[in-house]
Amino acid sequence: MTTPPRLGHANLGLGVGLRAAHFDHILRHQPAVDWFEVISENFVDSGGRPRHVLRQIAERYPVVMHGVSLSIGSTDPLDFSYLGKLKTLAREVDARWISDHICWTGVLGSNTHDLLPVPFTEATLAHVAARIRTVQDFLERPLVLENPSSYVTFAHSTMSEWEFVSRLAEAADCGLLLDVNNVYVSSFNHDLDPDEFIRSLPHHRIVQFHLAGHADYVTHLIDTHDHHVVDPVWELYRTAHQLTGGVSTLLEWDARIPPFPVVHAEVLKAKRFMGERLPAQPAAPAQLAGASDPLGGAGHRAPPPLPGIAPATTAPGAAAASSMPPQVPHPLHHLRPEVA
Amino acid sequence: MSDRPSRQPAASLPRPPLDVVQQWFQAVVTHPAGVAAGAASPAAQRLVRLDRGALEQLVRRSRRLTAEQRLEIYANAYYARLLECLRDTFPVLAQVLGAEVFDSFAFDYLQRYPSRSYTLYRLAESFPRFLDETRPDQQPGPGAAGAAGAAWPDFLIDLATLELAIAEVFDGPGAEGEPLLAPADLLARQAGGDFAATRLAPVPCLRLLRFRYPVNAFFSSAMAMRTRRLASSPELLDSPATSEAASAGTGAAAADLPIPDPGEEHIALSRTDYVVRRYSLTPFESTVLAALVAGATVGEAIASAAAASELPDDELAAQLDAAFRRWTVAGFFRAAAVP
Repeated sequence: MTTPPRLGHANLGLGVGLRAAHFDHILRHQPAVDWFEVISENFVDSGGRPRHVLRQIAERYPVVMHGVSLSIGSTDPLDFSYLGKLKTLAREVDARWISDHICWTGVLGSNTHDLLPVPFTEATLAHVAARIRTVQDFLERPLVLENPSSYVTFAHSTMSEWEFVSRLAEAADCGLLLDVNNVYVSSFNHDLDPDEFIRSLPHHRIVQFHLAGHADYVTHLIDTHDHHVVDPVWELYRTAHQLTGGVSTLLEWDARIPPFPVVHAEVLKAKRFMGERLPAQPAAPAQLAGASDPLGGAGHRAPPPLPGIAPATTAPGAAAASSMPPQVPHPLHHLRPEVA
Repeated sequence: MSDRPSRQPAASLPRPPLDVVQQWFQAVVTHPAGVAAGAASPAAQRLVRLDRGALEQLVRRSRRLTAEQRLEIYANAYYARLLECLRDTFPVLAQVLGAEVFDSFAFDYLQRYPSRSYTLYRLAESFPRFLDETRPDQQPGPGAAGAAGAAWPDFLIDLATLELAIAEVFDGPGAEGEPLLAPADLLARQAGGDFAATRLAPVPCLRLLRFRYPVNAFFSSAMAMRTRRLASSPELLDSPATSEAASAGTGAAAADLPIPDPGEEHIALSRTDYVVRRYSLTPFESTVLAALVAGATVGEAIASAAAASELPDDELAAQLDAAFRRWTVAGFFRAAAVP
């Protein structure tokens, strides 16, 4: 039996990452967004407003769960308590799929809360593929895994990242979340060709795209999710769209978050890069209600100029406590309490 | 001669197992003194023995950055991310201390209590305990705690305890959408003959706190000042409630407030309509509520609290009558039952 393209998942259209800063706007205005992606860790343990809001949003919009703590590449044991919570939440909000990253977050019981890189070796491949299969059996659904942004590579890697990702997806029979911005960031940081990266992946396994902004430190790029998507990333998206025939597309904006209409308008720009091969979208209310878009179809306007990015003026090698970079790299997901 | 790193690959080590690579990587990028010190540390050297400057044997350099500089990106991100999370949990405390002192505390905290959970929501849970463990009278000699002023460590600990409790109640289990004990039900039970034998089941979000400093009042002042500043600077309201905007509001206010004199304060925290609410209690009310939450009957709770109080019985009775009404209106109890 062959795996169907995109694991059989529908193209949900153009979605936005759900962030607490926009809860009130979304509940009040019910914007014409095709779908939302939620950070799983913001909700799996929530007994308060975040989960309450998510339940309301899931009643109206398709929801996808995107995690940052699976740590599928770690040599620590899998956390089945966490997986059980994922499964419960997925059932509760009818999550269309569950995704995370090809990375590890900690070892020896610690969690750095970062998406750390793995060496691309045969041993790593076998280790991660086996864990993916275990997780998929537990969750009773295929996983969708994302290429993270990375800032180092290992000297003993024996294959490229795209070969590793491709072989991993085939070995574990999982889906891929192609983060186009991450391809651009990692390729810049590792002196790779981002176009070759995208062309080398198994496109039938790509279930979803991510788009986001990043920070340019001249010597390296950091995946900060605090800016508009830059033009070269949009061009890569055009390529990825052509190669896949179009899949669900999601914009992430996690820091210095602008008002919701700005974020929504950013993902609507994707329409300009879909060319002739844009598959027909279902006539869902979210698609038809473009007239209610507060920016009046801002996705077709010229993109705003890129915000100025001050490159780091100090080398990143200074002592950790005293030379914090001005922006915290993705992921940082922590909701502030509301108190009367 | 150019300092620009060459693309010439360094001689690599034999392929270390994945678990060794991960333990080494974590030891290096979380080391408090940075990557070079981390790689030279005994913990890292036990895993991968590398001479100074030989990081390229394990981590490749790029055209623009050395291996050490690339690892520093992870090292900086580790502390930046977790310090921001702690500042977000303790916005008022962070401003009271000032950014530098707060970050110093938080940095030391991460050494003693690194995250061991998949969720950032548990990162701060030991911070008040850490402040207590490192208070100046337990840490002889100059240190970060001393910089905050040794006269009021209890104030800092109490303020941290309050802010942590608010965060926990905000996203913990609550009783929204569930039936609660209605004021009319309470009145009926008070009118009946078995009120003293009644047990009251508290809602799961009810927390009772006792402070040595009036930190709840301080917190209220910080909130009120924030409201005034938002009124005079409406652009803060126009921006989404990002942590930056919220901290700029509440926190900047706290920095301008004088530290209060010591004074015992009792409060209850609870949550209705998904908003955390704070209720002042008298010491007598606090004792009664604590006994009720622990499972005592109304009669037992009142008797134990009255025995410890010097107030006359009629005054206590009047206090209690009003208090039970307030607590019921506030939704402190799910149900009442006579065993």
